[in-house]
Amino acid sequence: MAANANWQDGNTKGEPGSSLHGVTGREPVFQMTMETVGEKEATDLKGRKFALPVDSEHKAKTVRLYSVAAPHMRTFHLSWIAFMICFFSTFAAPPLMPVIRDNLGLTKVDIGNAGIASVAGAVVSRLLMGTICDLVGPRYGCAILMMITAPAIFCMPLVSTPVGFILVRFFIGFCLATFVSCQFWMSSMFNSKIVGIANGTAAGWGNMGGGIVQLVMPLVFDIIRRDIGSEKFTAWRIAFFVPGVLQVMMGLLVLTLGQDLPDGNYAELKREGEKVNDSFQKVFLYAVTNYRTYIFALTYGYCFGVELTVDNIIAEYFYDRFDLNLQTAGIIASTFGLMNLFSRPLGGVLSDVVAARWGMRGRLWNLWIIQTVGGVLCIVLGLTGQLGPAIAVMLIFSFFVQAACGATFGVIPFISRRSLGIISGATGAGGNIGAVTTQGIFFMSSKYTTEDGIMLMGIMIVACTLPVIFVHFPQWGSMFCPPSKATEEDYYISEWSKEEQSNGLHHASMKFAENSKSERGRQSPPRSKEETVGVDRL
Amino acid sequence: MGQSLLCGAWVLFALLSFVDATVLFSTLPRTLAVEDEIQNQVPAMGLAKAGDDHLVIRWVLNATAQEAAAPGLDASYEKVSLKLCYAPVSQVERGWRKKNDDLHKDKTCSKAIATQKYTSQGNSTVWRITKDVPGAVYFVRAYVLNSNGTQVAYGQTRNLITIEPISGRHASIDVAAAIFSAFSVGSLIFFLALENMRGRRSSGSK
Repeated sequence: MAANANWQDGNTKGEPGSSLHGVTGREPVFQMTMETVGEKEATDLKGRKFALPVDSEHKAKTVRLYSVAAPHMRTFHLSWIAFMICFFSTFAAPPLMPVIRDNLGLTKVDIGNAGIASVAGAVVSRLLMGTICDLVGPRYGCAILMMITAPAIFCMPLVSTPVGFILVRFFIGFCLATFVSCQFWMSSMFNSKIVGIANGTAAGWGNMGGGIVQLVMPLVFDIIRRDIGSEKFTAWRIAFFVPGVLQVMMGLLVLTLGQDLPDGNYAELKREGEKVNDSFQKVFLYAVTNYRTYIFALTYGYCFGVELTVDNIIAEYFYDRFDLNLQTAGIIASTFGLMNLFSRPLGGVLSDVVAARWGMRGRLWNLWIIQTVGGVLCIVLGLTGQLGPAIAVMLIFSFFVQAACGATFGVIPFISRRSLGIISGATGAGGNIGAVTTQGIFFMSSKYTTEDGIMLMGIMIVACTLPVIFVHFPQWGSMFCPPSKATEEDYYISEWSKEEQSNGLHHASMKFAENSKSERGRQSPPRSKEETVGVDRL
Repeated sequence: MGQSLLCGAWVLFALLSFVDATVLFSTLPRTLAVEDEIQNQVPAMGLAKAGDDHLVIRWVLNATAQEAAAPGLDASYEKVSLKLCYAPVSQVERGWRKKNDDLHKDKTCSKAIATQKYTSQGNSTVWRITKDVPGAVYFVRAYVLNSNGTQVAYGQTRNLITIEPISGRHASIDVAAAIFSAFSVGSLIFFLALENMRGRRSSGSK
């Protein structure tokens, strides 16, 4: 293997013999790192070979979108489809609002409150989901959430008052926490070099559900009215069985076909002694004492939170400002969500591409630039008064705001290894808090017109993206500061106490630290004496 | 060059005259007298049920207006379009029902009841309240249209009626929802129990 690929620029500061792997006797104690030698030998606990090339943690090193091979690609597809269906269910009401508001006698305030309620429930559920994933695994987390919120979807056909409507949208919104299980699952299955694109693609395609639903629900409604002959006020109720049934079916598929980790499920691995039951208090402590958690929760609120807000208001905005009819406004609204097909994955890809050259510092710059440009475009959208330019600006704005979401999750897996679940959950929750706050400040009352609200939201995006400047990793640096002498091992081992280390609980983190050396970017000399040179570079 | 421009301008103006000019509601004379009456299944004052009850609407050219104005007032009157309109109390906080003086943008009268030929003796119609009428307070307005379809006059009822909508709910939907919800939770519990049992069996056999 090209052992010297990184450090052959003539300035090698390697210790004597560091290029002769296995000869010096100074190789690290952890046997796991030796497994990187042959892909053909990588097998899971049961001795089955993996369909994709894997690294030392058995995470896949490539993403093959056309494959459904267990466990990596099957997980990928189950995960994004489950999340997409949850998005579909949460935003199933807005496209049918003209019928629902007449049936239930809703006022603008009722509709606004329901919109806020639909994204507020997920603030709590996303925080909880992080912990649940850390403790019982993403498969159970995802399936249980989907099947417990499905009854809320089935309650929508029974609603007859504004309060009932707001409550049902609140409870349905809980299922948006599948985002956390999706990201957690991707980070467990895919290697750090491609985690950006894996996370971005899965989440982006999931977010597309918010666009697809704007086209599908009116279609289902029409079919029910024409072919079954129902009244309008009955047809929309029957239409809600579609998201409900899809969600139950998907929950069952995740339970039966899914797998938590490349090596197996949490329960089996715990029995084999491979997966250690972690302590919730410790996991929680390391999440809340890490300042990066809070910074990313805030910035995510101003890319994903903005995306949720726009999903809720954009159809009405085009309908009112440009005097379009409901169908046309709905089609334009759906294009915003459908851009997710490639914009969020591209954000993750850009993050990975930039990291290959500049490491983590590149990822941070990438995120800051993309999100700030998104904010500027939001300001422009609010100021654009002609229909054609407004659609164009909206499409470019949607690209940048969704790419920023993808880029954020290119960084999150590196903040912590032990508390990845809670931190993913906190970031996701931050996204929803951003949506609640933004809708509450700018889009509820008649104080601001919708176009002014959009412009002010753009200013807030730019302001709330500035904290990315302060994110610093000792081993990799930050946007303006270079790294110190610390290593990846130092950073990740700091999450384990001496006692836990003597019990060998930190081995998984050490494997991860090894693989995360890619975040240094190209042409970085080795730093510590125990540096291995056999790092997998494929 | 100048002549062809002028020619083009004339053609444009000629075409424009066929386009509906903006009609402002405040400019329309109120020359019709309109009355409505609810035919209930179950008698109730001013309350009508969508889908069950009927509305009887009578309109006639207002006698005093005819005398006061010049004869031939109704020369351009071609058709009468009857519409169900939201009362102001039902327009509060609902921008999609907003009143606008420009009749192209006005959303007060969204439900069409009937269109009849204009006669100076007036006419009446019986309308069964359709099931897609939302619950709100209404009045009936009659727009008089000329041969172009533009509104030239109007009349409206003085009293308000409240319409009770259908709920849209059916017993069969309620039952289906209950069954699907039970299936969702039940199958989840079943699968979790199954995995638990399988796990215990395999660890027991070790």
